[in-house]
Amino acid sequence: MSVTLLILIILGAVTAAYVAGLARVRAVSGGNARVLHSRPSYYGTYVALVVALAAFSVMAVWLIAQGPVIMGHITDLLPADVRNGDPSMRELALAQVVNVAQSGSAFGAEPYAVKLAATYNSMLASSRLYMTIAVLLAALVAFALAYRQVRPQARARNWVEAVVKALLIICSSIAVLTTVGIVLSMLFQTIHFFSLVPPENFFFGLVWDPRFAAAGSGGETGQFGLIPVLWGTVFITILAMMVSVPVGLMSAIYLAEYAGPRFRGIAKPILEILAGIPTVVYGFFALITVGPFLRDGGALIGLDIDARSALTAGLVMGIMIIPFVSSLSDDVINAVPQSLRDGSYGLGATKSETIRRVILPAALPGIVGSIILAVSRAVGETMIVVMAAGVAANLTANPFQAVTTVTVKIVSQLTGDQEFTSPQTLVAFALGMTLFVITLILNVYALHIVRKYREQYD
Amino acid sequence: MIADTGNVKFTTRDVHVFYGAKEAIKGVDLDINNNEVTALIGPSGCGKSTYLRCLNRMNDTVDSARVTGTIELDGVDIYDRSVDVVQLRARVGMVFQKPNPFPKSIYENVAYGPRIHGLATKKSELDEVVETSLRKAGLWNEVNDRLDTQGTALSGGQQQRLCIARAIAVSPEVILMDEPCSALDPIATARVEELIDELRENYAIVIVTHSMQQAARVSQKTAFFHLGDLVEYGDTEDIFTNPREERTRDYITGRFG
Ligand SMILES: Nc1ncnc2c1ncn2[C@@H]1O[C@H](COP(=O)(O)OP(=O)(O)OP(=O)(O)O)[C@@H](O)[C@H]1O
Ligand SMILES: [Mg+2]
Repeated sequence: MSVTLLILIILGAVTAAYVAGLARVRAVSGGNARVLHSRPSYYGTYVALVVALAAFSVMAVWLIAQGPVIMGHITDLLPADVRNGDPSMRELALAQVVNVAQSGSAFGAEPYAVKLAATYNSMLASSRLYMTIAVLLAALVAFALAYRQVRPQARARNWVEAVVKALLIICSSIAVLTTVGIVLSMLFQTIHFFSLVPPENFFFGLVWDPRFAAAGSGGETGQFGLIPVLWGTVFITILAMMVSVPVGLMSAIYLAEYAGPRFRGIAKPILEILAGIPTVVYGFFALITVGPFLRDGGALIGLDIDARSALTAGLVMGIMIIPFVSSLSDDVINAVPQSLRDGSYGLGATKSETIRRVILPAALPGIVGSIILAVSRAVGETMIVVMAAGVAANLTANPFQAVTTVTVKIVSQLTGDQEFTSPQTLVAFALGMTLFVITLILNVYALHIVRKYREQYD
Repeated sequence: MIADTGNVKFTTRDVHVFYGAKEAIKGVDLDINNNEVTALIGPSGCGKSTYLRCLNRMNDTVDSARVTGTIELDGVDIYDRSVDVVQLRARVGMVFQKPNPFPKSIYENVAYGPRIHGLATKKSELDEVVETSLRKAGLWNEVNDRLDTQGTALSGGQQQRLCIARAIAVSPEVILMDEPCSALDPIATARVEELIDELRENYAIVIVTHSMQQAARVSQKTAFFHLGDLVEYGDTEDIFTNPREERTRDYITGRFG
């Protein structure tokens, strides 16, 4: 029986349990809702939840455990020389077994592997069967226990709410644990990288040149200077913010304070469409339109602008980010109470004075928040940079030259035809970790600012 | 219905206000005198706030609002093209129903008006304006040691007095108050009423209130509005002891509204 079918059966059982719980509580209360502790649907939900929890947890444990158990068994059945030999050879042999088992083709496989593949398949099949039985049994037992507990004075509502609360806690911890997991996995690879390349060479190195060594040669080859790559990120982000903050903020002010409802109703959704354009499309735009335009325009006035330049990337990225700044800032400005505007107008302030001296200060925390959000978008952006600024890690303050960013280098290092343990690949994790720490600091700082102002303005 | 005594500050004739197609004020003739408190009373929705907001053109900020008729301040039509609404509002200050201090320090709240109108050039002048305004509003003694704390951190009554100080700081000639005490406790109310009485010496004051007692206590003239009409206007004493109109009598004795 397939897992999908089993899940469907469980869902059916859960529904049945709900109906049974409801029927039972109606029966025991004699139709008089007054004598019940909770509303009838809570009793049904309670029985259903118990059944679902029991069935799904048995299934989850089984599915997690079955892989290692079966593999352990197969390992024991391997020929002695393979089993006791080199661990990597053993892994290879096991992989071959699984491969044969799944593809069904024994072509080129060792004879023992073909035999073990059959064992593997039969073990998997019986495991499925036992799992189905175990799950259904668990559901049945859980149902019997829960069903018996349906009594008028049973605190079904409290139980259901406790389960719901537990579910919410589990969901929120999934997000937190995922973050922790990602950070940890990056951290280990980063430590591995720093055992191959000294940290000071990475953090203070001015040259990025990770010459791709031949596979397996190992050791330190090439230079992994972070500075040029990080500078590229910072430089392009600054350029992008120079475009998006003024334009975004001013359009937000116009939309919130000056525009009539009709224009606002049209303009705001259009602005938000900008945010929905895939960044790779902005990349085309940069590559095909903006880059050549800037190059030719620069040539006319005697400026030497590369077709791929920091300026192109910054400009296009800035355009991409405008809706983030403007849409959020517009919401924030709208949330400033009308009474503050009235107070200012009532004192004879003009519209622009009111905006500058009352509305913007009051909206500042939210505006800062939207800008920080935009910065982290810019820092993480890859596609536009690849297409608009290139992949050459130049350490230059000249916006007309090509530069590259941390994210671009992460991609190019990981997609290289490299061993996973070479510094050329591992450097991607060090770069990712650096980027993570930077955005983390940025976010913490933003939160700090927002809190500080919130205390003042609330 | 036109006042016979005192020097007239505002003359309003045949004032109509429309919100879209809805007529909220239906032809009001009323004079506001200098050095007097004029109370506007009437049931909710009768147009008191709307009328009040005509006097400093705050209705301009409402897109759907349209005002017709003549409203003259010292003989000049304030809805005339030549009149700058910024200057008008500097002359006719407003205090709102709900205290609405800016999210700035106490000092900055009071200094806001003088700054935007360039009334003080030096820091010392500004300090002086802030101090006198806070003194007149009866708030100085409570806040003089913490002028740099947030205006929003004050109590409701203190905030309302701060808003009054903020209005006084631009040295207006008229102060409009829209239910200034509705968010305040009796003690703070008494404080503000005292203040209104003191301010009367230098300003013309128009106050909207739902409290008959308050109207009787603080005002010299009372105007009773009903459904967008000015029903009765006269000396406060006369209105409360001997109203001419049936509707006025019913309202002040609490029979409707
Ligand atoms: N911005 C607006 N748009 C449309 N109609 C409005 C607006 N403001 C007020 N009105 C209407 O105009 C009429 C008068 O309102 P106004 O606020 O002047 O009443 P009020 O006498 O101040 O009442 P209250 O004592 O409740 O404050 C009401 O019928 C109200 O619904
Ligand atoms: Mg009102």
